[in-house]
Amino acid sequence: MEETQITPSLSVRSWSSISTQDQSSISTQDQSSTAGQASSTGPQPSKPSVIPPPVKSKGPSSGAGVRRMRRIIAEDAEWSVAIVPLLTELCIQHIVKNFQNNPILKQLPPEHQKKVLNHLSPDLPLAVTANLIEDESYWRRCCMQRWPVCHMDEHGGSWKRTFFELHLENLLKHFIPSTTDPEVILNLLPLCRNYVHTIRVDQFLPPVHLPPPLRGGDQSDSGSEGEMEEPATDHYQLGDLVAGLSHLEELDLVYGVKDCGMNFEWNLFLFTYRDCHSLAAAVKACHTLKIFRLTRSKVDDDKARILICSLLDHAALEELDLSHNLIGDRGARAAAKLLGHSRLRVLNLANNQVRAPGAQSLAHALAHNSDLVSLNLRLNCIEDEGGQALAHALQTNKCLTTLHLGGNELSEPTATLLSQVLSINTTLTSINLSCNRIGPDGGKQLLEGMSDNKTLLEFDLRLSDIAQESEYLIGQALCANREAARQRALSPSHFMSPATAKGPENPVG
Amino acid sequence: MNPPGSLGVLEEKEEEHLATPVIGPSIHSDNPQERIQARRLRIAARLEARRREALGEYLDGKESEEDQSKSYKQKEESRLKLAKLLLCGTELVTNIQVAADIREIHRRVEEEEIKRQRLEKLENEVKTSQDKFEEITMKWEEGKQKRIPQELWEMLNAQQVHCAGLIEDKNKLISELQQELKAKDDQYVKDLKKQSGDICLLLERMEEQKAFEVEREELLTNNKKKWEQALQAHNAKELEYLMNRIKKVEDHEKQLNKQRIWDCEEYNTIKIKLEQDVQILEQQLQQMKATYQLNQEKLEYNFQVLKKRDEESTVIKSQQKRKINCLHDVLNNLRSKYNKQVKQFQEENQSLTSDYKRLVMQFKEMQKAMRHFALIDDKQFREIWLMNEEEVKDLISRAFDVDRIIHTHHLGLPWTAPDFWFLKNVGPISQQQQKSPTQILEEVLMEAEEEGAEEAASEPESYLDLPKQVSAKTTRKILMLLCDESGFLVESKLLSLLLPLDKSECYLLKLDAIFSALGIESEDDLYKLVNFFLKYQAHHSPPSQERTSLVSPLEKLDPQGEKEGSLVDREPQEKQPPPSPRLIHPNDVLKILEAFVTGLRKPRDFRAPVKLLKVVRDDSKDSAYWKALTTVIPATTLNLWDALYTALEKYHLVLTQRAELLIENSSLERQNTELQQLLQQYLDSKINSELQVPPTQVFRVPTK
Repeated sequence: MEETQITPSLSVRSWSSISTQDQSSISTQDQSSTAGQASSTGPQPSKPSVIPPPVKSKGPSSGAGVRRMRRIIAEDAEWSVAIVPLLTELCIQHIVKNFQNNPILKQLPPEHQKKVLNHLSPDLPLAVTANLIEDESYWRRCCMQRWPVCHMDEHGGSWKRTFFELHLENLLKHFIPSTTDPEVILNLLPLCRNYVHTIRVDQFLPPVHLPPPLRGGDQSDSGSEGEMEEPATDHYQLGDLVAGLSHLEELDLVYGVKDCGMNFEWNLFLFTYRDCHSLAAAVKACHTLKIFRLTRSKVDDDKARILICSLLDHAALEELDLSHNLIGDRGARAAAKLLGHSRLRVLNLANNQVRAPGAQSLAHALAHNSDLVSLNLRLNCIEDEGGQALAHALQTNKCLTTLHLGGNELSEPTATLLSQVLSINTTLTSINLSCNRIGPDGGKQLLEGMSDNKTLLEFDLRLSDIAQESEYLIGQALCANREAARQRALSPSHFMSPATAKGPENPVG
Repeated sequence: MNPPGSLGVLEEKEEEHLATPVIGPSIHSDNPQERIQARRLRIAARLEARRREALGEYLDGKESEEDQSKSYKQKEESRLKLAKLLLCGTELVTNIQVAADIREIHRRVEEEEIKRQRLEKLENEVKTSQDKFEEITMKWEEGKQKRIPQELWEMLNAQQVHCAGLIEDKNKLISELQQELKAKDDQYVKDLKKQSGDICLLLERMEEQKAFEVEREELLTNNKKKWEQALQAHNAKELEYLMNRIKKVEDHEKQLNKQRIWDCEEYNTIKIKLEQDVQILEQQLQQMKATYQLNQEKLEYNFQVLKKRDEESTVIKSQQKRKINCLHDVLNNLRSKYNKQVKQFQEENQSLTSDYKRLVMQFKEMQKAMRHFALIDDKQFREIWLMNEEEVKDLISRAFDVDRIIHTHHLGLPWTAPDFWFLKNVGPISQQQQKSPTQILEEVLMEAEEEGAEEAASEPESYLDLPKQVSAKTTRKILMLLCDESGFLVESKLLSLLLPLDKSECYLLKLDAIFSALGIESEDDLYKLVNFFLKYQAHHSPPSQERTSLVSPLEKLDPQGEKEGSLVDREPQEKQPPPSPRLIHPNDVLKILEAFVTGLRKPRDFRAPVKLLKVVRDDSKDSAYWKALTTVIPATTLNLWDALYTALEKYHLVLTQRAELLIENSSLERQNTELQQLLQQYLDSKINSELQVPPTQVFRVPTK
């Protein structure tokens, strides 16, 4: 096949010198191997190179057919000399056509490479293209063809990376344990290992069970049911994949099912112990991991402990996000331990069940920590005890910049301590105390604290029962601080205007 | 637990936005405080900007300062506006989240409360049912003890009733709980609906904010359009300008090229010229250097010399000064002398003038006397001439007689008396014998006509008159030339008369006229003229070989001409090649004539008085006459006479010697006697005795 296709393009050279008229029919003529024949016509004179390697013309009958065609095309009014493409064009087209079988790219000069890439189909098998093509425009075409919406920005600004990450995500999303062949993913591994930096999967399908549809009725106590069928609801084991990706930096997982509709079952949202263990092992083995997110996956204290234990003394981890889980004080205590045994910069335990003891342990860890920048304890229930403990910790901490304590049943005592912190601390830039019961007095105290602070830029006190006046004054102080911060940012280097911040477009996506 | 989760995601994204903005107060705020703050900030910002500008950011250009401040204001306003918008927008959006949060908290609190109540209730229920159950079980014990079926039945019935009550309670509880669950479900659905409403609201608000985005997009597109239009116009203009500029540039380039080429050529030519100049100048420089060096050396040498000379000159000067002083003295002396001499000479002059006057007077007198004497002299001359002639004739007759005697007596030869013209002449030779130039001319011309045969045998007499140095032929030719060239001197009347005449006659007459015009009166003058011609030719013509050879002998012969050379002298003269008159160019004739006339006049004026005398008497022929008279006796006779005479002389000498000797002898005798007397006298004087050596002793007294 390859031989027969290359020869026509080669013969162009010899024939073009004899008569340009016959350019269009070169391939056919070559096949008929009547060298002396001066004129022969092809079926498509205007695009000669698109001619498929002609239907076997070895036989005498086909030769006659060629002649007949020739007669017709010789009188073709549309035919024009100007359309005769260059030999290089022909070669390039041929290369494009046979790229799947004979990928020639690196040997070509750059301008020809570009042409070839522009004409390559996005449907080519990844085995051919993955490690051969670096050109962004090709991968962009691939992405655009497959996904209507894809943000290159979320994938490190590289289309190739975008393509492989989305591709992998897609595979993982639709992987059904014990039904889908795991080789599908593992086969991709050698192709994408150098390009995948992030895995974001918001759905893991459980294995398909025939019985579940049989069991009708309302099963309110799904918890016991999940435990019973635990071995059967294990999800895809990430271990092999994560071990194979040499540049993996971010893992963003949600163990759950999307768009289940009326087929809702509790066990669709099960994060089993086996899942937990395998994930913990995978995470531990991945030394390049920087960001680990496991949200909305019903991670309870035990599972959190298992995961956090595996993350202790992790070299690269910077961000841990376990929001929207069921982590309680023990899990929080484990997280506090992690703070002392890692270089974690961001910890997110929003919407968990952390109470005062957990908060106290976190505060204790925070007091001696010098890495953590952001702590999010939104929608927990640490109450004043935990809040006070954290406030005490912040008196010594010199690193934390963002603290979210929204919806934590905090009240005046915490506010009193925090106002003291505000007057001392110079690193905090953002505090969120919304949805607490701080009260007017607490608000006044916070205002007092704010009057001495020059660094805080955001202080969210919405729905926290403080007097409007003090809230407004705090807002004024914040404005002053912001302006000062802007001036500070401007003076060393111009053009860092905050006004250029992006509009509120992301939330929609 | 799902809805809060989904909210959480949104909230997270909101948080990201919250982190970004840093918002200042707005001057458009309703709050006066905020406005003040904003203005302060603005002032501060402006001060800052000014400071920065002062620090060195005036690169932006000062002409656009106003624009910049305007745009800066606009930017600041926009920024503040945007910041406010952002803050408000995020607040608006997050408000929903916060509200949801608080609701969730409330729900949780309520839930907890309800849960607690339910648990309590359940516990109570459990307790009561447990009691009831225990009661029942206790009754079971009782029932075992009952043997009476009726009682048992009763009890069983009671038990059944109790059990039924218990079950009923339980069922009631269950239904209650189920109701509660149902209510919860409803609540959940409501919550779901509410949350979906929230989400819808959230989305709405976000969309609202997205409207900003859209508006911004529109604004952007509008602005972009405007900008593009402006840019297009600008581009078109720019292009136009560019084209113009290109045209101009091309023109200029062409001009430049032309100019450049021209300049180049000019430059090249100038360069070549200058290089040549430079080379020449260098050469000159070298030469100058050489000369300079030479000059330097010379000058040095000269300087040295001059120094020495200066020294010398100073010495000389001093000497000269001294000399001058001396000379001054001399001069003074000489002046005084001169004055003296002047006086003396004046005196002398006076005396001499008086002398001169006297002499003039004397001269006049002398002239008178001379005239007188001339007359007398003439008379005397005639008388003397006649007397001498007479005497000569006597002598001749005597010589003839002597000769006859000698011939006849002494030699015994026959003697015939010679017949000469001068022998018949009586008195001085008259003037008529003087030939006029015309006569000579005639002669010459006639002679020329008889040329050839008579050439050699020409009469010597006729040539005696001619100057010896000039041949007749030459003379004739010169005269012919003169005649031809000086026709202007001849009167026209004469010329007309001459026409019918013979050629030679014509010449003759013409020459006569010319001579009379030139003032040639005598034969001498004529020859002078001829000579002059020849001489002039010799002097004025270029010294060709021939001419010099011709002229030099003439010059040599010139002095001889005055000597009245003999015939012997004349012989070589004739042999000289006759000077060819052809050498005299006809054009030169007039010049020669002019020169001659001026030259002739001078000597004539000078000779005027001499002429006077000469006019009176030309004695040129006299000497010839007298000489001829002397040569009456021919040379042979004279030789004879001489020989006779020498013989006689010898004879006479012998005789005279005898006589002389006789006389000497007698005189010696007389001297001897006298000397003897003198000696005797000396010897006798006293002085001899006084002398130590007396001469007497020395002298031997001649003994006579």
